[in-house]
Amino acid sequence: MVTRLALLKELASMIPEDVLVVSSIGNNSGFWGQLAVREANLFHATLGMCTPAAFGLAMALPNRKVLSLDADGNLLLNLGVLGTVANENPTNLIILVMDNRNYLGSHKKEPGMPTATGGKMKLEQVAKGCGIESACMVQDAAGFREKIKMALSNSGPHFICAQVEPLDIERPGKDKRIPDPRENKYEFAKYIERTNGVEILGGGLGNFG
Amino acid sequence: MKLEKAKLVVQGLKAAGVDFTAGVPDAQFIEVYKMLAADPQMRYVGTANEAEAVGVGFGAWFGGKKPALILATSGLLVATYHLARVNILHEVPLLVVIPYRGDIGDPRWMGLYKKTTEPGLDAMDVPYRVVSRSEDIVRTIKECNESARAWLRCIAVVLNEEALW
Repeated sequence: MVTRLALLKELASMIPEDVLVVSSIGNNSGFWGQLAVREANLFHATLGMCTPAAFGLAMALPNRKVLSLDADGNLLLNLGVLGTVANENPTNLIILVMDNRNYLGSHKKEPGMPTATGGKMKLEQVAKGCGIESACMVQDAAGFREKIKMALSNSGPHFICAQVEPLDIERPGKDKRIPDPRENKYEFAKYIERTNGVEILGGGLGNFG
Repeated sequence: MKLEKAKLVVQGLKAAGVDFTAGVPDAQFIEVYKMLAADPQMRYVGTANEAEAVGVGFGAWFGGKKPALILATSGLLVATYHLARVNILHEVPLLVVIPYRGDIGDPRWMGLYKKTTEPGLDAMDVPYRVVSRSEDIVRTIKECNESARAWLRCIAVVLNEEALW
């Protein structure tokens, strides 16, 4: 089975620089920040918040592709968002789930406790059942490349469940700083302001009266 | 709640510049939710739970929207983890509007929420205003959102039954 690192390297080599990536906490953010130094990254979306945040961003910026770099345990905490996404139908949203079937957390030597996908649950079938028509599962790099390419070049929403090794046996170096949430907020918001012409941070003053 | 009071809430959101709303409908505020859902200017997204609504609002803010969450007092409890995280760790401004179950004027015994709502907002370091007079609804919503956006903090407006009935 393929590793998370191998697929994230594939993603980093394929993704256009203007595609917005919202990544879940833990190794998705940690690895992605080492592999893809880019302004269009919003890191550290906590359990249950990654796909909702990416979805909100996609709704606000319908002209931008948005990719939710989610994980099985993270998505499961707010699984209802798949129904919300299906009904609102943001055509610019890609949900990519790194499904390692366990709550890996900071475990490095052995997998954590199993998630529901470590049992009988199939997330791509859940996504389809929620009404996301473009939903699939991949298990190798070739399938991953094909589905990411398709999702980047076609209207969605798309749901791609990538089954990866339970343990992150391959890890990137740690030579790059992953911005903390506040640092990342300012950088990402300024990038969106600059590239989309919207006001986010504003002048720092209210407009009372 | 009376329809004219629901209109004041929506009027306050518009005066505040809110253009994106999310939440889960509750009986006490149903007229507000219906108005928001019918108004394209307010872009209402109905979520499966209130924590999801926090995530959606958080993402929408990064897209240049001025989001507000419309949460029941029970829903505030559901939203707590994500709201605390957004407010304390990310410092992203979300306006939270809450019809206050359990406070003065509530015709039903919902004392649970008197014990959880204000202490919960304090615990999450979310400043808030309790509104007891309907004539204060519009101004308070507007001013709270101005402060939220200036401070980059979540701020709540808690409307009790005295203001809504």
